[in-house]
Amino acid sequence: MLSTVPASTSSSPANAPITRRVELALRTEALSAWYGPRQALDDINLDVPAHRITALVGPSGCGKSSLLRCLNRLNDEIVDCRVSGRVLVGQIDAYAKDTIVHDLRRSVGMVFQRPNPFPLSVHDNVAYGLRLLGIKRRRELDERIEAALKAATLWDEVASRLDDSALSLSLGQQQRLVIARAIAVEPEILLLDEPGSALDPAATLRFEELLHELARRHTIVLVTHNMQQAARVSDFTAFLHQGRLIEFGDTDALFTNPLQRQTEDFITGRYG
Amino acid sequence: MKRRSGDATTWLLGGATGLCLATLVALLGFLSVAGLEPLWPARVSELQLRDGQVLLGEIVAVEDGSIALRTSEIDRIGEAYRRISKTDIVARSQPTDAIAITLIDGRQLFGRDRGPSADALSDSASKPAAVLDTLHPNALGFFSRSGVFLRNVGRFLGTSPSSSNLAGGVLPALIGTVVLVLLMSIMVMPLGVATAIYLHQRRGVGVRFVRSAINTLAGVPSIVYGVLGLGLFVHGIGAGIDRWFYADRLPVPTFGSGGLLWAALTLALLTVPVVVVSVEEGLARIPASLRDGSLALGATRDETLWRLLLPAARPALLTGLILAIARAAGAVAPLMLVGVVKLAPALPIDGSFPYLHPSRQFMHLGFAVYDTALASSDTIRGVPRAYACAALLVAVVIALNLSAILLRNRLRERYRSLEN
Amino acid sequence: MPVDPPTCDPFLSPDFIRSGARARLRRGSLLALLVNTGTMLVLAGLMAIPLFLVARLLPWAALSDLDWQGLCLLLGGTLRAAACAVFVAVPLGLAVAMFTAHFCAPRLRAWIKPALEILDAVPTVVLGLIAVATIAPWLKIHVATVLSLIVLLPAVLLTAGMAFGARIRNAGWLPLWLLPLLIAVVAVAVTICARHDAVAIVPSSPWNAALVGLALGFASLPLVFSVAEDALFLVPRAHTQAAFALGATRWQALTSVLLPAAGSGLVAATMLGVSRCLGETMIVLMASGNTPVGGFDPLIGLRSISAGLALGMPEAAPASSAYRSLFLAALILLLLTLSLSALAEIVRERLRRRLRAGAHAA
Repeated sequence: MLSTVPASTSSSPANAPITRRVELALRTEALSAWYGPRQALDDINLDVPAHRITALVGPSGCGKSSLLRCLNRLNDEIVDCRVSGRVLVGQIDAYAKDTIVHDLRRSVGMVFQRPNPFPLSVHDNVAYGLRLLGIKRRRELDERIEAALKAATLWDEVASRLDDSALSLSLGQQQRLVIARAIAVEPEILLLDEPGSALDPAATLRFEELLHELARRHTIVLVTHNMQQAARVSDFTAFLHQGRLIEFGDTDALFTNPLQRQTEDFITGRYG
Repeated sequence: MKRRSGDATTWLLGGATGLCLATLVALLGFLSVAGLEPLWPARVSELQLRDGQVLLGEIVAVEDGSIALRTSEIDRIGEAYRRISKTDIVARSQPTDAIAITLIDGRQLFGRDRGPSADALSDSASKPAAVLDTLHPNALGFFSRSGVFLRNVGRFLGTSPSSSNLAGGVLPALIGTVVLVLLMSIMVMPLGVATAIYLHQRRGVGVRFVRSAINTLAGVPSIVYGVLGLGLFVHGIGAGIDRWFYADRLPVPTFGSGGLLWAALTLALLTVPVVVVSVEEGLARIPASLRDGSLALGATRDETLWRLLLPAARPALLTGLILAIARAAGAVAPLMLVGVVKLAPALPIDGSFPYLHPSRQFMHLGFAVYDTALASSDTIRGVPRAYACAALLVAVVIALNLSAILLRNRLRERYRSLEN
Repeated sequence: MPVDPPTCDPFLSPDFIRSGARARLRRGSLLALLVNTGTMLVLAGLMAIPLFLVARLLPWAALSDLDWQGLCLLLGGTLRAAACAVFVAVPLGLAVAMFTAHFCAPRLRAWIKPALEILDAVPTVVLGLIAVATIAPWLKIHVATVLSLIVLLPAVLLTAGMAFGARIRNAGWLPLWLLPLLIAVVAVAVTICARHDAVAIVPSSPWNAALVGLALGFASLPLVFSVAEDALFLVPRAHTQAAFALGATRWQALTSVLLPAAGSGLVAATMLGVSRCLGETMIVLMASGNTPVGGFDPLIGLRSISAGLALGMPEAAPASSAYRSLFLAALILLLLTLSLSALAEIVRERLRRRLRAGAHAA
């Protein structure tokens, strides 16, 4: 089944030519979304390479978060949201009729802008997703929780207080806890919605190191409004503006030599 | 000038607020005094009258020109009140050797140490009854008086009434109230929580209809619920059950007359809106980010509800339950139609199978207040007793409400950190 | 143009449905079934009330047998008691709501709201007891005192406000400062009216509509207060701030911004208060004397629909004419209260929607 295709296709002419061949984890085809009468996404064609960090950047309100919420169908929960086009996650068409949404979301983890730990203990926060999968045996739970917390570099800090309320952790710890919670169920893809915006500089640095670690096992799609962060951590960058995908390509190439005028204006700080 | 009239009207509003607060404080203060006073051991007075008569008894009322005195009740309770004009009294005293004897049936006898002894006194009653206690009420110091008071409180809470509710305790009414309210809670919670979930989860016309139905019907007077309980539950369903399952006992009704089950069902219907409003508010207060987080982990909507939202809304559930209980404990009018009685022959809960007897009639604290105050043969004793019952009822209801208020505040604090 | 599907691990091939994924959906539908059943039961129970009452009145042809005259007396009694109670509950309730929502210091407000919730929680049977056992004997000889207080209290407050209002910048704790004044006025009125040469008004019955109104008014006050206060508090802060920025005093902000914005909420509060007064049972049952007499005199006794139901229903034989008359009375009471609370609900919903829209715009 494994095959490789170019990370960019000719269907989006604005893209920088990528010559490296990488596996794809996710692809959107002609994806559009509306909130009521307002169109949030307009004909997005995006290929997300597997096991890489892809950053979505753009001015606020450009549709980055909307795009993210389309990828795991969290937009279903918004009453007047309408989506057209295709989202392929692996080989599954996310919006096909017979797709089991909660199963899809299990494979596409998500971390939100503000840490949202459940009002449960640290242990139960991480166990939450595992229990949904029917894992009940205490030992297996504990092993997987420990593994997830270690992967999120939180284990050393909370090993002795697993039964404390998650709300008692610091903001940076909470952020790593929700990451541990997300990776505990072993998703293939991890969607991160401006995860650094609530953190202080030191915690942000730690967090970016963590991202590199996570990228070894997960495909990461990162929404950020911080251009330096996108430049520092991502392998690929997509620039969105007013619901359209303006440019997508290798991060270094996009930042040093943008093809589109709008991209250049944005990364040089002329607006946004 | 305009400014001045504004100030003046502000003072009017402030004064109204102050008046309301003062009235509430006065109300609660008066209730606690009036409710505890009947349990406080009263002093015995000796009156010497102009015609040489000497009366020994408890002064129960002092009016402009006269004094009401309760002397020894030789034959029956409530027979020995004397109204004496103040001009007829030569001397008033409270002899320290005065004895007050309380009999099991509530009658009180008064005497003095140098007169006949306590035993002789109780024997002198035309209907002898066992002596409950013998006191020298005028010789008691503060602490021993408090001791007697505490013993009286214990008796009030822990024993059955005698002499048609004029003496003894209120234990059966207390048990009846508690069992009724528990049964109602078991019925109302699943229904109320289910409705709240429905309102929280679903969208569309159905939700708007259910919501306005509940909001509107929350304003229906409780007596109308009682009419429904009597007409539909007792005379409708209850009579039907009797025809099908208890035909051998007819015409004596089993479920076809008012009883615990129908009363609980009526109260459950009455309190459903309270639970729905409280639980729905609790669910709505949980930040959307928590729900999204759970869904993003691959939980279905129902799993999110069951594993995350409902546990997180536990304080709201508890608040709803407490408010429903407080409302039910204070609702008397509907009960008068569906099975509350002045004196029930048996408790609704006892040691014989099936332990809980849902068809039995029951006693209730709130009804005891009404009945003892208005329908007793001896109002001079009845009214203070009614106040004691009322104080007990109010204490229970206010304690419940306060805990609900505290819980609600805690819930709000807890989610404030998660909001924004 | 045909595009190859992106591929990675086979973990996400459509044939591979993780074990239990569908079972979890099924379990979910069971929960949904429970929720629906519960809701339908509640709805059925609540809707049963009006339907059942109407059904019990059938057959229509026999309606003329019913005791229409008695019914009119009961209805008259209900309205008279409610009118007296509304006279207490609505002015006081609205005044307290306006003060609490607009003038009150936040710390005092945090006490007033629970305090009135507590007053709301006091069982009405207890208020009835106090009315009949304690207030009735006092009121019997003090009608004149009460009347003079109704005039005196507002007059004194207004005068004091005129005289000293300007000196007090912040009215936040006014209710507590005014307590001594209130107590003094009450004490003076009681002493003066207790003198033998004072004008005395002797009611024809110690249990009368005025007594009922006093107790019932205090019982319904918390409801009027909470509905009105909610409406006033819903008005976005930005609106009143804007009025202050234009140089309005607190009082002017109340009359020019708050009342126009939330006035319909006060109307709804009044309607709910009236509805509550109409249906309340225990206070009327205990304090009204239960004498079915007509007329508009607040100082004579009365018998209300609710009290008639509580007393008559258990005794009436099912299907008898008296029983059906009581059902008709219950239906009338239900229609009265239901139409009032439905109307109030509509008004409140509209207000909520408008204020929410206003808050978004602001």
